[in-house]
Amino acid sequence: MRTLLGLTLANVKSLVRDRAALFWTIFFPIMFVFLFGWIFGGNGGDTRIVVGYVDQDGSPASAGLHQAFSGVELLTLHEGTLDDEKAAMQRGDVSAVIVIPKGLGDALAQARSGGAAPVAIEVYGDPSRNQTTQVVEGVVGQIVNGVNLQAVGGSAVVTVTVLSLQSTSISSVAYLVPSILAMALMQLGVFAAIPLVQQREKGILKRLGATPLARWKLVGSNVLLRLMVALVDMVLILGIGYVFFGVRIQGNLIAVVGIVLLGAGSFLAIGFALASFLKTEEQATGVVQVVQMPMMFLSGIFFSFNFLPGFLQTIARFLPLTYLGDAMRQVMVNGTQVAPLGVDIAILAGWLVVCLGIAARTFRWE
Amino acid sequence: MTDGGEPVIRVADLRRYYGDVKAVDGVTFEVARGEVFGMLGPNGAGKTTTIEVLEGLRTADSGKVEVFGLDVARHQASVKERIGVQLQSVSLYPRLTVTELLDLFGSFFSRRVPTRELIDAVDLGERAKAWSMNLSGGQQQRLSIALALVNDPELVFLDEPTTGLDPQARRSLWELIKGLQARGKTVMLTTHYMEEAAELCNRVAIMDHGHILEMGAVNDLIGRRFKERAVFFDSSPLLPIADLARLGGVTRTAQEHGQTVLYSQDVAGTIGALLATADDLNVEPGNLGIRQATLEDVFLDLTGRALRD
Repeated sequence: MRTLLGLTLANVKSLVRDRAALFWTIFFPIMFVFLFGWIFGGNGGDTRIVVGYVDQDGSPASAGLHQAFSGVELLTLHEGTLDDEKAAMQRGDVSAVIVIPKGLGDALAQARSGGAAPVAIEVYGDPSRNQTTQVVEGVVGQIVNGVNLQAVGGSAVVTVTVLSLQSTSISSVAYLVPSILAMALMQLGVFAAIPLVQQREKGILKRLGATPLARWKLVGSNVLLRLMVALVDMVLILGIGYVFFGVRIQGNLIAVVGIVLLGAGSFLAIGFALASFLKTEEQATGVVQVVQMPMMFLSGIFFSFNFLPGFLQTIARFLPLTYLGDAMRQVMVNGTQVAPLGVDIAILAGWLVVCLGIAARTFRWE
Repeated sequence: MTDGGEPVIRVADLRRYYGDVKAVDGVTFEVARGEVFGMLGPNGAGKTTTIEVLEGLRTADSGKVEVFGLDVARHQASVKERIGVQLQSVSLYPRLTVTELLDLFGSFFSRRVPTRELIDAVDLGERAKAWSMNLSGGQQQRLSIALALVNDPELVFLDEPTTGLDPQARRSLWELIKGLQARGKTVMLTTHYMEEAAELCNRVAIMDHGHILEMGAVNDLIGRRFKERAVFFDSSPLLPIADLARLGGVTRTAQEHGQTVLYSQDVAGTIGALLATADDLNVEPGNLGIRQATLEDVFLDLTGRALRD
């Protein structure tokens, strides 16, 4: 244990003292969070919220409601059918959808003559954009209260139900924060090939082999280092996302940590497998870039998977980062799915096992 | 052997081939406790392969390889606990300090020498807090020897410890290695510097093409082959070598680096005759000198070529 920790500490020191390595593993992803946060954050400027408005009732009462909503300064209404508006929300054109259900007018009429079943106005909100959803919900609540008061002296004939619908807008910082974390983990793992190749090239691995140090400890210390950095990246990226851009984790924190560790592990295995085939440090630096750059842009990290053209979707389906990003969004912001969470996890675990197998068979110590 | 005890190293008919290349092709030798044993030979002779099999870094294709009476391949962990290893041209974690590296390597062994003591032993006190990448070549080599000593080993392997060092740094390293022997350690080293082997080793094995050509104490190796000493001077056309071969005591002649060399079993007689001949012709042999044959001559005689080529 003492040797394992000692080696890990040696690796930590080597990383922290190497500015280039530190930049790629820590500062590069943070830079991305700020960059994309500012570009797509949209926190300042236009404060009006565009909401989808669906009137399924068409009664005089619903016409009155429409007038009331139109009068709200904060909202811009975008009217259409339920399907249209939901699609618009998924595209990110509208931030929420308000649905006036069929039978609202009748219910109000019956309520005046006593005894009516309550009807619910539905509000679709994006759980990862809580502030917006809360504003819309508040506006709807106030108007509904007014209607209830006017019609039946305050008893709740009309109620409000909030439903969640994930928006996959490119402009959503909430979509980007888990994606950037996934990108950071990918880079962290793949870049691990460089110091390994470097240590082999310099003969450090060979020199360690001449001591009683067990090889699993040598590998273990590298894994420990990277997992520690993965958690640091997680805290930094989620922290910045929350503090600067108000992105909150919706899911279970343990699940988030679990996916972070699994993702880091899978890409670390890929890094080890790469290191098995690379001979020189220059080679490693080049190949690592060739692996990580296209993966970064083709995995639906910055652009929603659903918006990629067909052939790029096909490519993306082969890239492990697609599934890490997807899993990360599912556990963090209930994001849209490329695949069910279980499938994401199974694919990542598969990459982990296969690449570790390759590395174990082909890795050379000198 | 210098004493009757069990040899520290015992190698019998060691073979290691890389494809068609017979890196080590049937090597047999023993090293006694407290001895400094040198393997001498040009690059590619098989020295490093031999030493790395002994260190447990490579496996032998066949042959017996024992250290402390233990089969190295089967008792790697316990052998590695008790040996110190310095590899040829290894750089270490570049961004760790001298102290950190010694602490780290110390943590791999159950027995360890205090870091401060090691730093003093190799005279790196002023660079204790320097990153290893910022050390000079000689300092890195001294650090690398200190790392080989962290576990107070009984047996130390040094693979070309002074290659690439300037003469002064080489001298200071020689003192360090002599100190190891004074402290009772057994040392096995490889080198392609004859003077280094002559200076440090009790016994040397001369290797070439995977074979040991000759083995023994340095003076024995020279004496066994060369009973004569060499008389040399700047060659002159007035003193044709064919004539000089007939002078008294001369056994054979050679011409190298612009000098005429007369090997003689009777140096006084040969010089007298040479000077008389020169006087008759009214010439003076320039840079006249006498030397004992060296390991270099032994190697040249064994292989027909110079060691450093």
